[in-house]
Amino acid sequence: MTESSNVVGKQTEGGVELSFEESIYPRDAIFGAAYTLLDRCFVHLDRDGTRLLVKLRPKAGVTVDAAQLAGEFEAEALAQAWRREIIAENRALIEGVTSRAFGGAAGAPNLDDLLGENLGDLGDAFDDPLGIAVSWEEKYGKKDEAAAKQEPAPDAPSTGEATPTAGQGTDAKEQGDPKP
Amino acid sequence: MTELRFRTDLYAAEAIDRTVAAYESFATIERESFGEQVILRVTAPAGVDEAELAGEIANYVLGVTVDQRTGKELGS
Repeated sequence: MTESSNVVGKQTEGGVELSFEESIYPRDAIFGAAYTLLDRCFVHLDRDGTRLLVKLRPKAGVTVDAAQLAGEFEAEALAQAWRREIIAENRALIEGVTSRAFGGAAGAPNLDDLLGENLGDLGDAFDDPLGIAVSWEEKYGKKDEAAAKQEPAPDAPSTGEATPTAGQGTDAKEQGDPKP
Repeated sequence: MTELRFRTDLYAAEAIDRTVAAYESFATIERESFGEQVILRVTAPAGVDEAELAGEIANYVLGVTVDQRTGKELGS
């Protein structure tokens, strides 16, 4: 039976009980090792102070003996602990590579993608009751000739005064910015 | 009757609840909270190996707990 400073094992009725120092073997490593044995034995976890107790009892029909299960559990716990340490050390690298890979694969979003994105319920955030979002050209730009003939100029006085013609300084640049 | 004790700092309470729900049609299970432990008293129906059933229940609790710790969900 295993006997070391960090892991202590003892034979119990129909199984084996292992005791791990939690400061050496992280709890997640013990859980991970226990998980790998669930198909072959009954596993129960308990605590005794700072030590985690793992009780293993082989299932019926399993030919592996308790001592072998205990050894397997210890090896798996060590592997799990080591694997977690490697993951922790390389976390930043893995995240960087993964994000770059996904970012490159997706490419930069085009305007249609951005417009098509579901932004959720924004309420009346994009309502424009004052017409602020209307472009200058739409408001004050030159209209096509047919529309211009039919509609009087919006700023034209009602006294019947003729609207200025092309040669008389109708250009917005010449008159300055019109008032809204 | 077999008594199973689960420490709440090791086993997830939700995992215990889900296990009781999963096994209640196969056994009579009484649940009791006692300090930092949850106690399940399992009584198997006639003809069923109670020790084996209790072991499977303990394994199920552990499995769900590990799945929750690793962010996975056990399929129901």
